[in-house]
Amino acid sequence: MIGTSLCRWAISYCAVAIAWLLLAEGLMVAGFGFPNHDIGGPDTLVIVHMVCVGWLSMALCGALFQFVPVLVARPLYAERWTLPALALLTLGLTVLLAGFLALGGHFNGPAWLLPVGAVLLIAGFALVVVNLSMTLWSARPLPGPARFVAGGLACICVTTAFGGMFSLVLSGTAAGAQWPDLLISGVPIHAIAGLGGWLTFTAMGVSYRLLAMFMLAPDGDVRLGRLAWLAGITALAVGLVGGVLTFWRMTGLNLALLLAGPAALLSLAAYGRDVLGLYRTRKRRALELNTRMSLAALVSLAAAAILGAALLAIGFFQSHVGALAFLVAFGWLTGLVLANLYKIVPFLTWLETYGPVMGRMPTPRVQDLVAERRALKWFVVFFAGSWAATLMLLLDAALGFRVAVAAVMLATLGLSEEFIRARRLADVAEPLRLPTGAAMPHLLVSRN
Amino acid sequence: MTEFIDVDVRPILRAGGEPFSIIMAALERLEPGEGLRLYAPFKPVPLFDVMASRGFAHREAELEGGEWEIRFLPNDGAVEAAEPASAASSDGDWPEPMVHLDNRDLDPPEPMVRILTALERLAPGQTLFALLSREPVFLFRELTKRGHQWRGDFTPQKDAYQLTVRVPA
Repeated sequence: MIGTSLCRWAISYCAVAIAWLLLAEGLMVAGFGFPNHDIGGPDTLVIVHMVCVGWLSMALCGALFQFVPVLVARPLYAERWTLPALALLTLGLTVLLAGFLALGGHFNGPAWLLPVGAVLLIAGFALVVVNLSMTLWSARPLPGPARFVAGGLACICVTTAFGGMFSLVLSGTAAGAQWPDLLISGVPIHAIAGLGGWLTFTAMGVSYRLLAMFMLAPDGDVRLGRLAWLAGITALAVGLVGGVLTFWRMTGLNLALLLAGPAALLSLAAYGRDVLGLYRTRKRRALELNTRMSLAALVSLAAAAILGAALLAIGFFQSHVGALAFLVAFGWLTGLVLANLYKIVPFLTWLETYGPVMGRMPTPRVQDLVAERRALKWFVVFFAGSWAATLMLLLDAALGFRVAVAAVMLATLGLSEEFIRARRLADVAEPLRLPTGAAMPHLLVSRN
Repeated sequence: MTEFIDVDVRPILRAGGEPFSIIMAALERLEPGEGLRLYAPFKPVPLFDVMASRGFAHREAELEGGEWEIRFLPNDGAVEAAEPASAASSDGDWPEPMVHLDNRDLDPPEPMVRILTALERLAPGQTLFALLSREPVFLFRELTKRGHQWRGDFTPQKDAYQLTVRVPA
């Protein structure tokens, strides 16, 4: 093992991601898209892709570039691909969103915007997937958490493949006209592979290692996470392969999803059991804020699983799928990513700044870069706002939803300031702040 | 001539058991000057550093079927007495660690800080031994930059990572 260096652009990914999140939240507060407009309409698609691609995927890619090498104790396959991938993803998303806006009649754009945006996004994700896959490949046999990442990478391929086909249908091309029913049967597959496979499954895997690390819990047992992984992979395989097959036959999608559902619930239950086990066997009694807030995000995931099952049972799934998607995207995924950024940003900043002088000069602790009491307030507002917004969607209260998202946006702004303060070493007491030999980090790029 | 206590961990490993505690228990029972003869189904490389940190050098011999006999000898000159000097492996010529750190219960990145701080106090050529709860991937980068050499591996039962670092001579 030659060690892991800092990924130069990981912080840049996080910064771009947060900018997209704030933009999406601002649009929701302004009443753009669902629930004021149709859930499948172009305006809602703008918000959905800003959140899922711009914010969640971008932040996850940045985190994976830094932590997949840690998970498998191998260097990243091609560090030099990370910046081109960031550029392709940003440009692709911008063009795609322009395509949706044109589709919604907001301006008179050309029909090629959607397919071109999709191609750029596919190219960006391809660079990410190949880079991370080659890193994983060099570390076979994979440790438990890395297997989740491998599953997630397979799912983002499915997601982008369907997204690419949708762009051909929506832009009215001749190729797209061959699949008139694609949007009806393909959208659930696109969403499940994206939200469930790529974002949730990958986040589950990475959280096994991060939670164990920060709670000082033993995670050496090879059986840890095995059931959650097996059940999850089964659910995704049945849902996605079944979904593609039924698309071919034009029937039976519900059967595939009904079979995948219980496996997905089993996976989540096993994951919950594992996390509780880590929590119980932890050596660290007082948990840091990032871990406590990760656990709050996990409560949202459990709530989403229960809500989804309940909506299915009483036959309200179709009419309230928006509330469920919001809870998954914000209460669970956004909450988890923000909680972990609250550790990742100070940690990388600390390593970059004080690593070179460590042991030679007195240096601050990582926790000296943050002010948890101040940040706790923003996290409370964030989770309360996310849960309130979900409730407002369940109650069909559009105005209430906008007010709740305004609280979420305020909390995001507050946490963004905390991240900037950590990068600027603003909370480090003066004699330790910049010892001789240490250099002030740049805000958006790491020195490696 | 050194007297040996025999420990055969082959049946324990075949039964899926964990032999580390048994080896350590046998070690506790050794009289001064006694050695430990270990039979294992594979070459227990990670054990060598643990034993080195407790003051034992080792001699290895491969048996039939890929199994190994390892003799651990107290590091008080008995090695030289028992073996011709040429048998001393050039790879095993690091001096005994000056510092032993048990960093297993420390929060990351505290283990890294303690190791780098302790290394700064060592003289050129001296070594440090540390036990950690996981592989210190971010530490390696700093060790490389500072020109330190290191040897590290997981313990046989995979519940800790053992690291020996040598300050450049």
